[in-house]
Amino acid sequence: MTENKVLLSNWVSEFTDELYSWAVFKVSDSELAQDLVQDTFLVAAEKIENFRGDSSPKTWLFSILKNKIIDVYRKKTNKPVNIENDVLSKFFDAAGAWENDRVPKNWNEEEGHLLDDSEFQLVLAKCLDALPEKWSTCVRLKYLSEKKGEEICQEVGIALTNYWQIVHRAKLQLRNCIETNWFNE
Amino acid sequence: MKKIMNILFLSCLKASELIEKKLHLKLSRKEKIKLNVHKAMCKACTLYEHQSEFLEKGIAKHLNKKSEEIDSQQLKKQITEKISSL
Repeated sequence: MTENKVLLSNWVSEFTDELYSWAVFKVSDSELAQDLVQDTFLVAAEKIENFRGDSSPKTWLFSILKNKIIDVYRKKTNKPVNIENDVLSKFFDAAGAWENDRVPKNWNEEEGHLLDDSEFQLVLAKCLDALPEKWSTCVRLKYLSEKKGEEICQEVGIALTNYWQIVHRAKLQLRNCIETNWFNE
Repeated sequence: MKKIMNILFLSCLKASELIEKKLHLKLSRKEKIKLNVHKAMCKACTLYEHQSEFLEKGIAKHLNKKSEEIDSQQLKKQITEKISSL
C-alpha cells in the first residue's frame, strides 16, 4: 500500500463513526448515510494530493461529506412533483375557505402525552413517509440542519416563497393524514 | 362581499399559509395584523395553527430520535477494502 492509502485507512478507523452519526442525523436514513461516508472517503482518496494539512483531516473530511449531503438534497428537491396544484383545491374552495369536510376538527387529546405515545409516533412517521419526497425533504430540512429557512433555501436552490408554500401543502396533507388515521379511528 | 372580506381579513387558504410561514420565517407587521384579525374571527384556522405547532413538535421529536446503531466495524472494513482496490 502506498503512503496515502495507509494514511487514509487510519482516517477510516478514526473518523468513520463521527462522520456516520453526523450523516445519519442529516439524512435520517442509515443506508444512505453509510453510502455517503463511503463516498466521502473515496473522494478523499482521489483528492488526497490536494490536501496539504491547512485544516485538520477531520475538518477536511467533514467538508467533503457536507457537500455530498447538500447534493442529496439538491437532487431530491429538483425532482418535479405533479400533484402539487391539486392539493390546495382539495382543502379550500374557490374563495379560499375550508372545504366542509376538511375544516380542522378539534382533536380533543392531551397533546403533550401524545408525542410520547409510540403508536402515535408510528402514525406520524407513516404520514411523513407518505408525503411526496420533495415536500417531506422541505419539512425535515428545518430540523436536520441547525440552519434557518433562508440558508436552507440557498443550499438546495429553491426560492423562499416556494419553500414555505411547499411546507404549507405538506403540512395540510400531514395534518389530514394524522386526523384520518389517528383521531378518526 | 366575500371578496372584500378576503382582501381585508384573508381567506383561510392565505391565513393557513401565513401560519406556516410564521413557523419558518418572520412575518411582516402587516401580515401579523391580518393573521391575528383572521384568527379572531375564524375558529378553524385558530385550531389549525395550534395543531400545526403540535405537528412541528412531533416532527422534531421524530427526527431527533436516536439513530440506528450500525456495525461500524463492517463499514470501516468495507471502505478500507474499496480504497485499497483503487
